[in-house]
Amino acid sequence: MLEIFSVCKQYTSGRGHITALTDISFSVAKGQSFTLAGKSGSGKTTLLNCLGALEQPDGGRILYNGQDICSMSSRQRAYFQRRDIGFVFQTANLLPWLTVAENLMLPLELNSIYGKKQKGRIEELLACFDLVGYEKAMPGEMSGGENQRIAFARAIAHKPALILADEPTSSLDSVTGYNLIELILSLCDVQGSTLVVATHDPELIELTNNRLYLKDGRIEAAT
Amino acid sequence: MRLRFIAKLSLLHLLRSWRTTVVLSFMVIFAVGALVFLAALAIGTNDAMIRNSIGLFSGHISGTNILPGSDTSLLQVEGVEHVLRRTEHRFLLWTDDIFETVLLMGVDPVQEKQSTVLWKKSVAGRYLLAGEEAIFINQETASRLQVEVGGQVKLGSRPGEVLKTFTVIGIYHTGISQLDQGLAFCPVEVFPKPDSPINVAVFLHYGTPTKTVVERYRELMPSATFKDWPEFMPDLKQLIDLNFVCMAIVMILVFVLVSVGISCAFLIFTLRNMREHGILKAMGILPVDTALLLVTQIAFLTIFAALIGEIAGIAAVALFSESGIDLTTLTSHNQYFSVSGVIYPRLTLASLLPSPLLAVFFGLAAAVWPAIYIIRKSPADILRSV
Repeated sequence: MLEIFSVCKQYTSGRGHITALTDISFSVAKGQSFTLAGKSGSGKTTLLNCLGALEQPDGGRILYNGQDICSMSSRQRAYFQRRDIGFVFQTANLLPWLTVAENLMLPLELNSIYGKKQKGRIEELLACFDLVGYEKAMPGEMSGGENQRIAFARAIAHKPALILADEPTSSLDSVTGYNLIELILSLCDVQGSTLVVATHDPELIELTNNRLYLKDGRIEAAT
Repeated sequence: MRLRFIAKLSLLHLLRSWRTTVVLSFMVIFAVGALVFLAALAIGTNDAMIRNSIGLFSGHISGTNILPGSDTSLLQVEGVEHVLRRTEHRFLLWTDDIFETVLLMGVDPVQEKQSTVLWKKSVAGRYLLAGEEAIFINQETASRLQVEVGGQVKLGSRPGEVLKTFTVIGIYHTGISQLDQGLAFCPVEVFPKPDSPINVAVFLHYGTPTKTVVERYRELMPSATFKDWPEFMPDLKQLIDLNFVCMAIVMILVFVLVSVGISCAFLIFTLRNMREHGILKAMGILPVDTALLLVTQIAFLTIFAALIGEIAGIAAVALFSESGIDLTTLTSHNQYFSVSGVIYPRLTLASLLPSPLLAVFFGLAAAVWPAIYIIRKSPADILRSV
């Protein structure tokens, strides 16, 4: 499903020239759960951003179902992101001026899922993530754990083939984080979605099928 | 993404970020309202100058060299309110051995009092009554002749030949040199030479174009000379044009200042929400939809605020359009405000349209840079930068 060949990425920032990724190659099969593990600054987020087409690598190729996402036009990239990707950020990144239900509605609208189908899917997600009764609540009125649950619900709302999660449990306590990832893994199983998680949480790493350990932007180990 | 959904998102954003919306709206409302009022005030000032200048004596249209015996009732065409007929002849006026040349006008005192306000400019005595053997003279002539109200003046074509002896019934002063020098009035019934040439002062109904009436008059009386106020008062016409230009410059300057304010405020508003645009972009919103979302938000806000501002401006104009704004202390020595220094602000398309249109334009212009920024930057860059 995902094939990554010799991906490299460099930044220029106030700290000078930074090599974020060097010669990264691996593949992820459909339906797998995959961890990108490593310490802070190891390149996990950059790699995840490249996989989700949120930024372009400087070199190498990323094939999604055989199609190189690096050579896509901005329009093709946007359609790829809205249709095939569900992204969970380190923080919930919900739109603060939309209610819980309206935040869940966004990916459905983007994928032309309207009317009863949309309403049904939102109800399903609310029930699944234990958010029933919070439909009209604003993100600002919810706890961090609840917001992250909404973020997960939003990421899988349109049943994407690939879910990318960047340190999704870092702002949660270990029990809540663990339970949430277990829930996501079971939902991915049901939907047949592939999950790629960037984390340094050992418990979370243990939950996934495959792992890639990064250090200073290079692959340290793969299991 | 459907346009309806973009509009819905924009409205929800504005409604749920109501504090920001109110602050931004207030700025636009105040700016548009103030500019509408300012423009109406400028138009009102010009109106006041015209009203004062024509209402004192001359009317909107002046007709001269009309043959004695002409039927001036023909001039009562559509759009004309009053036609004041005046018989005029140059005479000598004297007391003892002091002589003054005056242009004596035989007028209908009742009609003159109805349409003009020269009678209000009396500094001594009163205005004429129909049929009385009295004369109403300007202060300068009275002073030269060393005559006061109640005094007698002799009138003739040459010294020694007394055609009439008048009692000075009133002395006036307008502050306008054409009226304050060598002009005197008597009732038409006692005018010494009734077969003298006639002139007319024509007063039009509000909104009647002067040029149309003048053209009609030239057809009716080809031998007479008809001029509308811009022709016989080119100084006033020039002053009004100058006033328009000055006001336009002031308005442009105010617009620029207000617009910069609006643009900056919207820029801050947009930059503050940059992260949300990054999130939407990461979810696969097309660049064009991102820009559209931004533009729709600002369009809704500015259109709504400009509409309220327009209503506020209209309300402010309405408040003063009846009572007027009394600027007598600032205009008392100005010939163009010789009758009244009260200004009545008036709305026209020119005062109503530019302010809201420019507010919306500059609001939208402020969305251009953030829209380009969001379109060009990758979602990761946007999320990293804010």
